[in-house]
Amino acid sequence: MKRGLKLFALTIAALMLFVTFAGCVPTPASVSGTESTDAAASESGETSVESAEETTDLTVAMDLSEREPVTLEVWYAVSGTSGETFVDQAEAFDESSDLVSLNLSYSGGSTDTATKVSAALLTGTEPDVALMYAGPSYTGGRGDFSMAQLIQREGFDADDIYPGMWDYCRYGNGDICAVPYGISTQVMYYNKDILAAAGVDMTNPPTTWAEFYDVCLKCLESGNLNGMDGFTAFDVTDTGWLFKSMCMQNGCSVVELGDDGTVTPVFNDAEALEVAEYWKSLVDSGIMAAGEHSAAENKFLAGNLAFIAMSSNRISRWTDVDINIGAIEMPYFKTQSVALGGNVLVILTQDPQRIEAAWDLISYLLSPEQNIEFALSTGYLPVRQSELEMPEVTAAIEQNEMYSVAFKQLSYTWAYVHFEQMGTMDLQIADALSRIEKGTREPQEALDTALNNLLGEMELDAQ
Amino acid sequence: MRLGHRKLVHRNWILFVILLIGALSMLFPFVWMTLSSFKTKADVYSFPPRWLPTVWTWENFKAVFDMIPFLRYYLNSIYTSVLQTVLVMLVSILASYALTKMRFPGQRTYSMFLMSSMFVPAVVTMIPLYLTVSAMGLADTYAGIVLPQISTAFTTMLLSSFFAGIPNDLLDAARLDGCGHFRILTKVVMPNTKGAISTATLFSFLTAWKSYTWPLIITTKTEYRTLPIGLKYLVTESSSEYQIMMAASLMAILPVLIAFIFCEKQLVRSITLTGMKS
Repeated sequence: MKRGLKLFALTIAALMLFVTFAGCVPTPASVSGTESTDAAASESGETSVESAEETTDLTVAMDLSEREPVTLEVWYAVSGTSGETFVDQAEAFDESSDLVSLNLSYSGGSTDTATKVSAALLTGTEPDVALMYAGPSYTGGRGDFSMAQLIQREGFDADDIYPGMWDYCRYGNGDICAVPYGISTQVMYYNKDILAAAGVDMTNPPTTWAEFYDVCLKCLESGNLNGMDGFTAFDVTDTGWLFKSMCMQNGCSVVELGDDGTVTPVFNDAEALEVAEYWKSLVDSGIMAAGEHSAAENKFLAGNLAFIAMSSNRISRWTDVDINIGAIEMPYFKTQSVALGGNVLVILTQDPQRIEAAWDLISYLLSPEQNIEFALSTGYLPVRQSELEMPEVTAAIEQNEMYSVAFKQLSYTWAYVHFEQMGTMDLQIADALSRIEKGTREPQEALDTALNNLLGEMELDAQ
Repeated sequence: MRLGHRKLVHRNWILFVILLIGALSMLFPFVWMTLSSFKTKADVYSFPPRWLPTVWTWENFKAVFDMIPFLRYYLNSIYTSVLQTVLVMLVSILASYALTKMRFPGQRTYSMFLMSSMFVPAVVTMIPLYLTVSAMGLADTYAGIVLPQISTAFTTMLLSSFFAGIPNDLLDAARLDGCGHFRILTKVVMPNTKGAISTATLFSFLTAWKSYTWPLIITTKTEYRTLPIGLKYLVTESSSEYQIMMAASLMAILPVLIAFIFCEKQLVRSITLTGMKS
């Protein structure tokens, strides 16, 4: 009886220990054969990638006679209309190709996809292709710059793609390791009725932030059409994104890239401080509410906000709403500049046959015909300069004038290189701006703290 | 006497009004969700807000089925949630019994260890857990979704607190009548903690039903994906299609409502006893 009791208790305890702490066992590197090799290779990254690069010249396409039918695993981090358009295009490619078929899988939002891809890379179960945010961190971060060779292939015409977009596809030392797809910039949208009530002539819109400030004051004075207590003139959903654009406009490059590939954050210099002080003035004057950015889109669509800075992908989405929306180019300080955001396409496989198949897919998606269709359906931006001359673009602009604003901005888009801690940098900048808005820190102190926190993490990772 | 009665009636009316306001405020999001699911986009964003749709439309429900394999996700969610709940309860009841009514070496240390695991954020264990489950060949399987989630410290500790309240004399009496551990558990302990078990079951079901990140990480094939992943897909990168999200949410909430209706009595009783709310 007593023995049985002990056995029963121990079995239960063992079962619970196993299940509860299953996650604490070592990585499969010590568990399974083939996968462990892949996992170890994935972790070290550079070793396996370098060997693949050394053996294959990817600037030249593989001979068709050497090609084998391949089924690619493709993960995508875009949902809704964008997701559907991507899936439609990918399926069309699948149908048109004899050699390549696709398994498409939605991988969640940007954070979920980052976790999923990180976990998959550790177990060697990564997809062959991923459409994701911060893609260069997963290719360039592993020393995989095979994309730099692939884009040199005949017929791709890499020079046709906006230089700013290529900057968005670089990692650390400046090499290209992704291709732009599903890219956007922030656009300054406005409520036409509010601006009309404020007596502002938007055929001659504000071009600088100083002019913008004055227009916002007019909106505060006489633009509150709904008589709402919480009416404000301006807001932005992604504060960090706009702040980085403003920094660049004012002469601060946010991060600096050294000759040896090291990245140094500089978003606390004198130019950035001027931007932060302007930011504070928007809150102090009541033009922008402090810390209400997550509700900004709803507020704008309800007609209680005059201006909103949001992704260009809203151009195609705000079609069935009750307010009259217009758009102007982003105001600037010294020079026009808007930071790029959005997704990129990366090839994660190291298998030559799969790389060929993946490149077939990417070339297809980045052909002017496909890319412009994706852009106009989703509000993401065309990546090729030649696309702007296509009749579809003219027709789209005639139908929705806001497209012309987003397309004009393409000529001065800007991006900094990807680096491992860029997610932390965005969080730190957003936190600094939040503190500035709420008045808990002075602009210089807030920026210094954010920069020091980032440097601390960079040093920790370097160890 | 008459004055006292009048005072009591007056006080009851005040209490009634306060409770009514509380009840309405709880009901408001549900009613708003239901009405919004029948609205057009323009109605959703209209100002001042419109209670009722200007045009009642079923298009949002149709859009949900067009955009995601809703039925498949729905069935997967029901299957994995029920299976996970059953396994969670099985493991938790046995563990709670062992921890409170048995004696074995390291029992106290183990309890503390188990409790401390509640303080570890799920995101920290996500990648190690993925590595383990993937190495076991359980990626893209129902087992891969369910098994790693069946041992929950919360449910075990919740049940333990109730099991501990059952007098040991009652168990001794059962032993004298010739009951073994299994019969003591099923005939004495469980019947005396029905309320706690119902509450734990409901909490477990809710946890499984809304589980998003783990099923997303461990699956890539549509045939194994669950409803929260589908709902997330409808959120068009923080999109403005609230009416579609509301339609999907309305359909998604039904099993939870049914579970709540069945367990309401026990749930309310347990909340009263434990002071816990989800």
